[in-house]
Amino acid sequence: MSEGALPKDDAVLRVDDLQKSFGGLAATDHATFAVERGTITGLIGPNGAGKSTLFNLITGFYTPDGGTVEVNGTDVTGMEPYEVADHGLIRTFQTPRKLEGMTVREAMLVGSRNQPGESFLTLLSSPGTVAESESANLAEVEQILADFEIDHLATQPATDISGGQMKLVELARAMLAEPEVLLLDEPVAGVNPTLAKKLKDQIRRLNGQGTTFLLIEHDMEFVMDLADPIVVLDQGHVLTEGTPKGVRNDDRVIDAYLGGGA
Amino acid sequence: MSLFDGPRGALSELTRPEGWVLGVSVAFLLFLLVAMLTGALGPTYFLFLVGLAGMYALLSFGLNAQWGFTGLINFSVAAFFGIGAYGTALMTASGSPIAGGLNPLVGLVVALVVALALALLIGIPTLRLRADYLAIASLGLAEVVRLIVLNERWLTNGSAGLRGIPGFFHGWPVLSTFPEAMPGLRLEVIPGSPVTLKTAFWQASLNVLLVLAFAGVTYFVLRRAHRSPWGRVLRTIRSDEDLARALGKDTYSFKMQSFVLGSLIMALAGVFYAHLNLYVGPGDLDPITTFYAWVAVILGGSGSNRGALFGGVVIVTIREGTRFLNDVALPIDPAPLRLLLIGVVIVAVMRYRPQGILPPQRELIWPSAVDGGGTPETPDSGVRERKGGGDNE
Ligand SMILES: Nc1ncnc2c1ncn2[C@@H]1O[C@H](COP(=O)(O)OP(=O)(O)O)[C@@H](O)[C@H]1O
Ligand SMILES: [Mg+2]
Repeated sequence: MSEGALPKDDAVLRVDDLQKSFGGLAATDHATFAVERGTITGLIGPNGAGKSTLFNLITGFYTPDGGTVEVNGTDVTGMEPYEVADHGLIRTFQTPRKLEGMTVREAMLVGSRNQPGESFLTLLSSPGTVAESESANLAEVEQILADFEIDHLATQPATDISGGQMKLVELARAMLAEPEVLLLDEPVAGVNPTLAKKLKDQIRRLNGQGTTFLLIEHDMEFVMDLADPIVVLDQGHVLTEGTPKGVRNDDRVIDAYLGGGA
Repeated sequence: MSLFDGPRGALSELTRPEGWVLGVSVAFLLFLLVAMLTGALGPTYFLFLVGLAGMYALLSFGLNAQWGFTGLINFSVAAFFGIGAYGTALMTASGSPIAGGLNPLVGLVVALVVALALALLIGIPTLRLRADYLAIASLGLAEVVRLIVLNERWLTNGSAGLRGIPGFFHGWPVLSTFPEAMPGLRLEVIPGSPVTLKTAFWQASLNVLLVLAFAGVTYFVLRRAHRSPWGRVLRTIRSDEDLARALGKDTYSFKMQSFVLGSLIMALAGVFYAHLNLYVGPGDLDPITTFYAWVAVILGGSGSNRGALFGGVVIVTIREGTRFLNDVALPIDPAPLRLLLIGVVIVAVMRYRPQGILPPQRELIWPSAVDGGGTPETPDSGVRERKGGGDNE
């Protein structure tokens, strides 16, 4: 039994027999695994193994050809991304997303959920409610920015900060949405070691406060240090799952990385 | 930041382009005032121009709510404008082949309902798709609406157009008879060139009142809606729709709201136009209106309501100002000259100030949350000015 075989009693995310092909290429090939509540689960695999595709399938950006995705016991297969988010699952993207023409705190504020001011009619009918929630959300943004030690960036244009700071802002913003499970796609790719360490500390801290993480990462040292268990993906299917140590010493994993899965 | 801080405080907070626009506007108004007092510009015609400016401002507001806020590319501004004009004309005009003679308020409601239906008709199939689908579909829609108006005579009177449209206040108490009831006024500010204000002047004043009401309410609503969580989601969609989706926003619904809102405002401009001009014809659906609205929004600064207002006024100035060139006996026709002038203006703006003359300045955060707190470092203005590229002072 090679697939995600560890026993999971309290899975916050369950992926079952998921399939997706692009033309003739099976980018996701009957993938099955689960993410246990409270863990930092790593998702690794060689380039092109289908990790990002899997994220897109889980979050509703792609529609699977077959299989199911469950979040908190609810089948979310085929739902719109915003509906999946409503079930407590938030994601970030591999390439940082820039918000043209926004300040950092403005871009952060987009992350808050259930804002009464997002309803056009409420804006006109009860501006008082909007003002109240806006002040509260802004205070929360300032708090989170302070927790991440980037409060000095609050009023900077969101496009003027470094790539690493952008990754921090993305993580901070995702946390504003108060997810139960957060999917991070290569959070430290292209980030300098100091900021990478900072990101690692933050992820640990947030995990300690109860957020479950599923993270894709290329930086082996980073992921081995942070995540347990680790799911290994190769050519669209789950090769194995285990502790960092177990995975590192698994011949199939070494083969997949060295031989491109041959 | 409000005007109540006293004029000096407000003035010193203006960015250079803002001060520049303010100065030019004041100079321009003075110029018009002098022209009026000397009799070179008839006061009634002046009010007609103000009405037109208000109308273009409405069209720009509408397009700004779609393109400027959300990045929706709508090439059927003229169609929604025409739907507004024809909607009310068909209900109220004595020459209407289907209804006619109804109160203009009925016309207003019908026009808005038809525009809503049309916006949904084109929005539902395209807004789930990539941005370019709306652009292409709206281009087609504009032509379809124009051809229907031109060819379905039983409905629209075809190329003859609709005559006998009443003023908007027709049938209202007091206001409907106000122009006739007012006495003729004779002013002689400059000796030897008297100015007489007659019924037509009072009629035109009512029209200005109407467009000020339409544009004022629209501006108020848009301003409130833009600096809010709602406006913030729209801007997120404009720069990265997938990010908005990942953060749990139902982007389809937001795009639909923005599209419908903009379309209704365009139809409102059409309603006003019908009761200003008292005649509508298929020529009023020509694509040039769409072109003018786009120029106004880009010139003013996409996303900025003030910019849209400014752009609308510039368009009317160029459109109507070139008419006077007839008097100067230029060797060329003013119509192509007008387009040439607009082309030059657009190229100059794109070259030296790609973000437009009055780009949005403030963060899209509910004003009381940032202003009220009084945080000293609050960058209430100038945030976008810095990143704007163009000219850093
Ligand atoms: N939208 C798409 N269209 C076509 N092929 C795709 C698409 N997305 C991913 N792929 C292909 O699927 C495979 C897996 O890609 P991806 O999930 O990005 O890999 P990873 O993130 O593990 O590096 C690659 O061969 C890639 O070219
Ligand atoms: Mg990837």
